[in-house]
Order: sequence, then C-alpha cells, then structure tokens
Amino acid sequence: MSDHKNDIQNPAPNYWRSFEELYSDQKFLAEKNNEFKEGASDAPNTDKMSPISRRKFLALLGASAAVAGTACSDYQDKGEIVPYNNKPEEITIGKANYYASTCTGCSSACGILIKTREGRPIKIDGNPDHPVSKGKICSQGQASIMGLYDPDRLKSPKRKIGNGLDDADWQEVDKEIVLALSTIGSREIAIITKEIVSPTQNEVLKDFIKEYPATKVYSFEQFNESIRKNAWQKCYGSSDFPFIKWNEAEVVVSLDADFLGTGSHRVENTRLFTERKNIMNKKFNRLYSIESNLSLTGMNSDYRLMLRPDVQYSFVMAVINELQKKNVITNSVNASAFSLSKLAGDFGLSEKILNHLVNDLSKKKGKAIIYAGDHLPENVHIAVNLLNEELGNSELYDTEHSTVNVRNLSSLNEFKNLIDKMKAGNVGVVIHFDTNPVYNLPADFNYAEALQNVDEVVTLTEVENESSGLSNHVLPIHNNFEAWGDSKTRTGFYALQQPVIAPLYSTRQKESILLTWINGDTTSYKETIFHEYLMANWENSIYPTLNSKLAFNPFWYGALHDGVVRSNDISNGIEDFNYSVIMELKNAQVKSDGITIQIKESYSLRDGRFANNGWLQESPHPVSKVTWDNYAAISTTTAKQLSVKNDDVIEITVNNRTLEIPVFVQPGHVDNSITIETGYGRTNSGSVAEGAGFNANTIFFSTGGLTPWVYEGAAIKKLSRTYNLVVAQTIYDFTEKDKKDLPQKRGIIREGTVEQYLNNPHFLNGKEHKVLESVNPPVPYDGVKWGMSIDLNKCLGCSECFIACNVENNIPVVGKEEVDKGREMHWLRIDRYYSGSAEDPKVSLQPMLCQHCDQAPCEVVCPVVATTHSPDGLNQMIYNRCVGTRYCSNNCPYKVRRFNFFNFRDSFNDGYQESPVFALLHNPEVTVRSRGVMEKCTFCVQRIAEARSDATREGRTIKGSDVTTACQDACVTNAINFGDINDANEEFYKYRNHELGYYVLEELNVIPNVTYLAKLRNTHSEEA
Amino acid sequence: MKASLLDYILRNRLPVTIFVAAASFIITFFASRAERDGVGYTPDQPINYSHRLHAGEMQIDCQYCHVAVEKSRYAMVPAVATCMNCHTIAKKDSPEIIKLTEYYNNGKTLKWKRIHKVPDYAYFNHSVHVNKGIECESCHGEIKQMEKVGQMNSFTMRSCLSCHRNSHERLPYIDDVQRGPEYCYTCHR
Repeated sequence: MSDHKNDIQNPAPNYWRSFEELYSDQKFLAEKNNEFKEGASDAPNTDKMSPISRRKFLALLGASAAVAGTACSDYQDKGEIVPYNNKPEEITIGKANYYASTCTGCSSACGILIKTREGRPIKIDGNPDHPVSKGKICSQGQASIMGLYDPDRLKSPKRKIGNGLDDADWQEVDKEIVLALSTIGSREIAIITKEIVSPTQNEVLKDFIKEYPATKVYSFEQFNESIRKNAWQKCYGSSDFPFIKWNEAEVVVSLDADFLGTGSHRVENTRLFTERKNIMNKKFNRLYSIESNLSLTGMNSDYRLMLRPDVQYSFVMAVINELQKKNVITNSVNASAFSLSKLAGDFGLSEKILNHLVNDLSKKKGKAIIYAGDHLPENVHIAVNLLNEELGNSELYDTEHSTVNVRNLSSLNEFKNLIDKMKAGNVGVVIHFDTNPVYNLPADFNYAEALQNVDEVVTLTEVENESSGLSNHVLPIHNNFEAWGDSKTRTGFYALQQPVIAPLYSTRQKESILLTWINGDTTSYKETIFHEYLMANWENSIYPTLNSKLAFNPFWYGALHDGVVRSNDISNGIEDFNYSVIMELKNAQVKSDGITIQIKESYSLRDGRFANNGWLQESPHPVSKVTWDNYAAISTTTAKQLSVKNDDVIEITVNNRTLEIPVFVQPGHVDNSITIETGYGRTNSGSVAEGAGFNANTIFFSTGGLTPWVYEGAAIKKLSRTYNLVVAQTIYDFTEKDKKDLPQKRGIIREGTVEQYLNNPHFLNGKEHKVLESVNPPVPYDGVKWGMSIDLNKCLGCSECFIACNVENNIPVVGKEEVDKGREMHWLRIDRYYSGSAEDPKVSLQPMLCQHCDQAPCEVVCPVVATTHSPDGLNQMIYNRCVGTRYCSNNCPYKVRRFNFFNFRDSFNDGYQESPVFALLHNPEVTVRSRGVMEKCTFCVQRIAEARSDATREGRTIKGSDVTTACQDACVTNAINFGDINDANEEFYKYRNHELGYYVLEELNVIPNVTYLAKLRNTHSEEA
Repeated sequence: MKASLLDYILRNRLPVTIFVAAASFIITFFASRAERDGVGYTPDQPINYSHRLHAGEMQIDCQYCHVAVEKSRYAMVPAVATCMNCHTIAKKDSPEIIKLTEYYNNGKTLKWKRIHKVPDYAYFNHSVHVNKGIECESCHGEIKQMEKVGQMNSFTMRSCLSCHRNSHERLPYIDDVQRGPEYCYTCHR
C-alpha cells in the first residue's frame, strides 16, 4: 500500500468529472451521499399516466375474471402455432440468417452484415469481407436498425391540400408529378441529392436527365471535404486526395481534425490508428492534437494544445519556419513572419510540447503525418500538404487506392445560382431526393423562402422533415433494409445493397419512383422495377469490366452473398507536388479578435439525419456526456468573462443572424471560441427529434466566415433564461474525502507512460493491496469461466460498443427527463475522467459494465435470490424473481445495475416504443424487461447459450473463442476481448494475464472477471 | 350469555370454517393440478392429423417434419408444404387432405392449437436435449400411439428440475448420462 504511489503513474493529482466535483460544491457533495438522485424514487407523474384509476382497474379486473370464469373451458388456452405455408429453404425457426449489404447512412457506404430472425432484421454489424470497413461500422450504422421500425415513418404518399398534407394514392400523385415534369417548358427541374455513391443510382439520374432535359442534379453534404479536395487539387493537380496509412505513422499531428470522431473515414481511421497502440508488439504512435474544442481525437492524444481554428494557419506556418530554421526542410515557402515562440506566448501554448513536436517531426521524417481538419481554410491545407511533402511524409499516403467520385458534390456557388433561379421563378419542379435542404443548406440562402416560388416541390423521404413540410407532394421511400443498391467509393471494389425485408408500408424505392416518372406511364410501376434496372446495369456496364470467369447469374448471386466485388480498376496515384502553389501561402500573420464560432457535426446525430433515433439521442456525448441536446461549448475563462455558467442561455449573433442556445463549460476548450454541434433543433421531423436541442444551422452560412463552418467576431449576449442540459455522468461521483488520491487509493484508473512500460513491463505490479477478506468460501471453477478484457490503450470512447449493446439487449429509450433523474437503462457506459486543471485537463476513458465478480456484493444482499452466480462465472440476474428492492444496486461498487422505475417502453414519448411495429425490433433471445425489475449486463448470455447449443450439436464442449459479445463485435479498435479465463491456449488468455492488467477497485476483493489494461501515454519522460 | 356465544364461535364455528376453507383449498389445489399444468390438454386441431398413423404405423422419423429440432431451440411445426410432399399423391380424396390442400393452394394460414408451452421467461432449447440423446417421448409421452396429441407431462420448472436432478433415473437409456445444469441462466436470461 505504501509504495505504490510511486509505481502507478498518476498524471495529475485529482480526478474529477464535473466542475461541481472539482470545486466541491456543497449541494452536489450532499447529493452524492445518496444512492439515487433526488427525485429518482419519487412517485410518478400521474398526469402522464393512463387515465384508468386503480378502482376502475380493479373493477375491470374483477369483471374480466368473472367473464373468464364463466367462459373458459377446463384447460387454459395456449394460443396457436402458425407454421409457414411454404417455408423459405434458408429459414430455420430460431436461427438467425445473415445477409451482406451496404449501409446508406452516409457517403462512407460501409459494408454491413444484417442479422435477421424469421425474416426480420434485428441487428447490424460490419461485413468482414468489406475491404474498408472490415467487419466494423459506426454507432449510427448500428443504431440505424431503429429507423426501419420507426413508428413515425411515412406510411403512404401525401399531397398538399390547403395548409396540410393528406394521404393520397401513388398513381394520382405520380400522374400529377409527371404532368408537372412534362409541362416544364423552359424552366428548370432541380433534383437535390445527398452525395451519390451508387453508380446505378447515378445512371437513373442520367436517364432522368435524358427524358427531362431541363433537369439539373445538385448534390449536397453539409459536412464535406471540399476544402481538402480543392487544396489537394492545387497542390497535386488532381482532386483525389489520398487515404492515409495511419497504421504506419509513428507521429500524428492533428490540426483541429477530429479524424477519430467525425468525418466519413472515421471507422477506417480509427482501426488503422489504433493498430499502433499495441501492447502486444509494443508499438505505439504519438498523437499531437492542436485543437479548439476537446474532441474525441483530442481526448485520445498524447499531447494536446489548445488553439483557435483561425490561428491554425499561423501555427502550421510557424512550424514550417521552425523546421526551416533547423534545416530540416529547405526548398520552401517564406514563413519568416511566423514564430512558434510568439504563438506560444500569445496563446499560452506549452513551449515544451512545441519543442517535442518540432523534434518529433524532424526525427521521424517519412513516418509522421500532419492532418488538418475539414473545416479549416484552404491555406492551412496547402501548408500542411507542403509540410508533409517536404518532410517526406507523403510515404504515408496510400497510393494503392484512390477515391472514386460517382458524382461530384455541387459547389456552394452552384447552389447560390439555383436559389437565384428559384427566386426568379425559373425553376418549375424541385425534387428533394432523400435530402433535407431546408434544414441543412446555409441559412443565408433563404432556401425555404425561395421554395415558395416553385410550383411543384416533391420530397422523397422516410420520415417527415423540414423540407417535406414545404412540399406539394411527400413520397415515402424504402428504408435501407428494404432497398436495392450498389456503391463505389474507391478503387478496387464495388459493393452491393440488398433488401432483407419486404416493405413494411406503402413505400417505394426512391430510384423506382424516378424510373416510373421516366417511363411516364404511372401504371408501369412494380416493386421489382429498380431491381431489374440494377441487374441490367451491372450486366451491361459493370460486370464486363470485372473479367469474371463466371456467367452473369452465378456471378450476381455470389456478389450478393459477399456484398462486395473486387474490381481491377487501379489507383490514379499521386502526381508531383506543384511548388507554384506556395504563392498562396501569405507570409503575414492572420489577426483575429473577438469570439470565434465553430459549427461541428454532432457525434451522434451527424448532420441531423439521425435525429429521430432515440438510441442516438440518448447516447451521451463522448466528451461532455450531455444527452438529448446540443449546446455552446466554451472555456472556463471565457465563461467567467461573459459571466455565464452551465445552462445559461446565450444569444450568439453572427452575420446579423442569431441563435439562442445554452452554455456548457467544456474543460479543455480554447478561450474566446465557441463550438456548437448541429443536427439538433429539428422541427416536423418525427416525435423523438422534436424538441431536442437547438438548430445551430441558423448561423451556418455559405459566406462571411473563415470557412462555412468557422466564423470570427461573433457577438454574445447573456439572456436571463436558463435551460436544463442533462449530463448523463454526474451521478455516482466521489465525495471530497475519497477524491484526493483517488487513482492510488481506489485504483480505478491506472496509467503510465510508454517509456515507463518499456523500461519495466511490470511497473504496475508490486501494488500490494490490503484486500478485504471475503465472507464467502472460494468457489472452484473447473470448466469454462467467462471473462472480458478491455484495453484502455485502444478504447477511444466512441460509443460503438454502447449502441451495439442497446440493440442486442433490447435496451429502451427513457427520455431526457428520466436521464436527468439518473434512470437511463444503459448496461454499458463509458466513464470519462478528467485529471489536471479545469483549463487543460487530461482525459481517461473507461467502459464500465457489470464486472461479474466472483464474490459479487450484489448477490449476498438480494432477499429473494434473484441474482446469483453461475458455474461458468456469470453473475446472473433473473427478472421474474426480482421484486425490485434495489438492494443489489445499492451494494454494487461499480454502479452498473439499472432499475426499471417504469415500463419505459410505455412511459417514453407516449408509448412510442410500444407501437406494434417496434416489437419487430426486439432480439427474441433477450427478455423485454418491464417495470419494477433490476437489470444489467449479462455478458450476452444469449450468445453463450447459442454457442453452447451449437457445441453440443457438434458433440464437443464449448470453447471461449466460440462466443463474442455484442460490444466486442462492434468495437472498431478491438479493445474488447472475451473468452475463457481458464484456457491458456486462447488469445484472450494473453490479455487476461497481461502485465498491464488490473481490476477496478481491486482492494474490495470482489474478484471481477473484467480486466482493464492500463493506458500508456506516449509522452516524454520529463513530462511524466 | 355473551360469553357463551363467543365461546361457541371460537370453539365450534371458527375451527369448522377454517377446516372447510383449508380442506376445499387443498382438494381444489390437487384436483385441479393437472388442468393447471395442462396435463391431459388435448385440443381439437384444424386438421385431424394422426401421429399414431404417421409416426407410429408408418414410422416416419420425427425429424422428417420437425426439422429444426436438432438445430434450433424450436422443434418447428412443419410448413404446409411439407405435408404436401406426400399428399399431392397420397390419399388425395380423404376429406382431411382436401381441407389441407385448400390451405396449401390458397396460401391460407393453418393455425394449429398450441399444446405444449413453457412460459416466455424460460428459454427451453430442443436442440441441446435432442443432441444429448434424449428421446422425444421422454417429455412428450408416447406420441407414436396418440391419435390426437395431448400434453402428457407437466412443463413446470419443478418438472424440468426433477429430470435435471435425477437424470439417471429418468433417462436410463442414455449411457453415462450427466445431471442437467441447474443454474438460473440455463433457462432464464
């Protein structure tokens, strides 16, 4: 006990999770002494409950018992079994089928594997055969299954009558639209799409243009890489910027780039990046993050500097100047006006870290990469390209693959022209092709206003949105899982998308709708119209280029089975650097004053397209842990200057437009800057999205800023109102007394540096704890004993595991008010600890779930033996035995047990989750829990049971590697391992018994079966 | 007077009342047990299918129809098409087969009455039991002699456990039979 203070690397003396905790707010501390938050066990709000009173209920109960008593026969009726009339061959009742397809959630077009049970999709995972996603997808992809069963989906076409929309018939609607299209005259038909990644969809659009030559297609993404692309074009003469071999980079310098958290390559980036956080082969990269807001990337950096986006140009030029002075780079731009030491002085950057950065860049030539954020101006990107080129870091550009753009995104200028034409009445028809421009287009376009001058506005969408509200016709389209498609995002392969369920409603595939209009005959529609078109396009255009040895039909079925097809198109390679571009790099300091605003894509809702997904809304922000809302993130210092605190509503004025939004003081945010995530504040967009957060797009402009995402000189006014932001992680904090030397004393987070570890791999050991004696005799575990290891070096806190757990285990959405009372039902949460100062904290992340303790404290206190231990080491929770005393939760040191204070399926959003269609979403192997029972992580016991039954069938005993948990499958970085603790031949054994392994709260002697592998920061020794 | 009334109530009326109540409860409890557990439940089915004929006399293997029984936790009631494998030719004119053919040709759902049911919160797995060598008859009774299928054994947790605990007695036909697992997650999750 005495000497482990020296052994354990403690990056900072205090660990804290909120300002209330850091500054020992008395009210807060008093609250922390209570197991449940105030109000958690209050009586329910009767206004929101069923109007049937207890008396009425009893009367009904009595009446129904009497009726049942007289009507029933001797035996209780047990219902019916309805077999298939003609069973599809591949279906075995009770066994899942998997189909390869493509996710259409964003332009990444990741390969997915859809798990279906008895014909209904219930879970999405990555397709392991897909060359980019390699079996992993993002949390939006995981959660998108909820979109299929969303009760808010449009169920039939609608037509505007008066001020409202009325149900209509497909044929009538088609007729009206075809009439509008064919009588367009000299006016324009505008189709507004998302980024198009499907070659066949593009063919449909081309055919559409052939039939209606007045058509123009506009593709838009609110968050895109256009600036990176333009800069690349200027530097290398081609717009195909390369992918980066993150796994070969020893040093990564991120300039306000959240490449691990947002952006369309993040799954691939994350996977490759963490390959160099490997405790097995002891290879570690070093990440410098120079950023404004504390991002997911910044949380995982080894060194972090805070810098406003508008100073990034000066920063990168100063680095160039510094490297020139050291003669590391020579033939290059004049950057004499910039100096790192001046920047360090002006913006309070640590000189020590800057020295390390410059040294690392000079020493690791060709093995380092500098990467700028998508939202930074072009000159930053050009300077970065130059720097990478000069340092020989272009070695890390992936020359084997290059991006394929099926159709380029339209520029903001093209949109500007469109709007002008609309305003002048020169546009006759606007088709929103599964897009929501009213919400997503820059506010200065006044798109909604321009729409009023268009006679025929058609919106093709799954759920109503801002754009559909202003349309004459709203046409419901198929969900991803009901539709056909293909995609081409980069060289080397094509991917296919196939439907896995028949359309639930009277919806149509969006391409089929266009095909019907192209045909002109509205009776020509049939469900297979696009399927046939797709196959024909493949047979005629794509298949011949693939040199397949198979005939088309066997080729096609093989392709559908695999989900991907390799192609032999080759990468364009990278041209030589065009040095004349350095003319663009001005040798003059950029001066900026006032407050800078940055608009950022939301971590969970992206640009708003996932706003009606309850799982994503309730998913805590990876950094701030705020749920159900967005906010203006500001630094502690700026908050003091503006005299605002959390929850105060401020009015932000940019370019004469205002946004009212609550403040959240974000530790690690740069001063004089505000970061706002968008995707919230939706209207007319489904009952879940309604009322969640604030629409930050009101201050998103096409011009007037540094880039469309960054604005300088914003005016801030404090309003007298406050707004309740709900943070999912202030519960279960620690009291002042324990907090002081928390990491040493409680051993929750243990960290070290890479150097320390390489010098002494056992530096964590020798930590003799005075362990509590157990009241139970030790139990021998002879057979398989389940355990999990979580590598905190690889865990980035991205929430993929957590969403996968929600989907697998039928976790309900509880709503904002309930999260506020600490009633969220997440079995797995990601704890985020800050350490150090409030201005510049370090972050430690820790996924926390049931530890399945051998000596589980919850088990001994249950008065009804509803929680017990299994012989394979699982802490069992039996719902139908639980009477809801909550003693177990009270006695759990990890606080991972969740109690159903209500039947949340009923109480949230007016019984939204009790809608019959929602029942199809549930995993049939997992009980749907109701009110009054405790629940928690089961280590995916349903998967263990299935693996065991398969093993029995094959006449063998179950092995640890037979089972993977849902969180493990979802973890992009493979931080989670699961298996048999007793089997020394398995991969998992190495993790379980790794020298960096530790248990959380080891001294309690509860003997957890979850091992955490201590995080190593790749910092220099003097930093330690 | 008052005292003697109280005396009478306490000495005579009360014990008799309690006895009658207790006795009727106990008698009802045991007498209705079979019905409560569903033992003997033999509902009429939409088609008068005979297991005695098919499985008994003609010795068609159980798994010809119940195909999922060794793969899945459900044994699976066969699709109508399975019946039609034979009955497009065999006994085409029998009234029951005419009914069956109607279901098949019209794509009508054939709703069989459910006979065996464990509660929702128990995840019984057919494949594990069958693959361990347990015969169908051990739970479902002499199905091969049943003209009309009924429930022969109780399917309560007590019945499951009695077999898991006394597997040697109950399943003497399996060599080296082991005790079944008894921990909660075996069936509940």
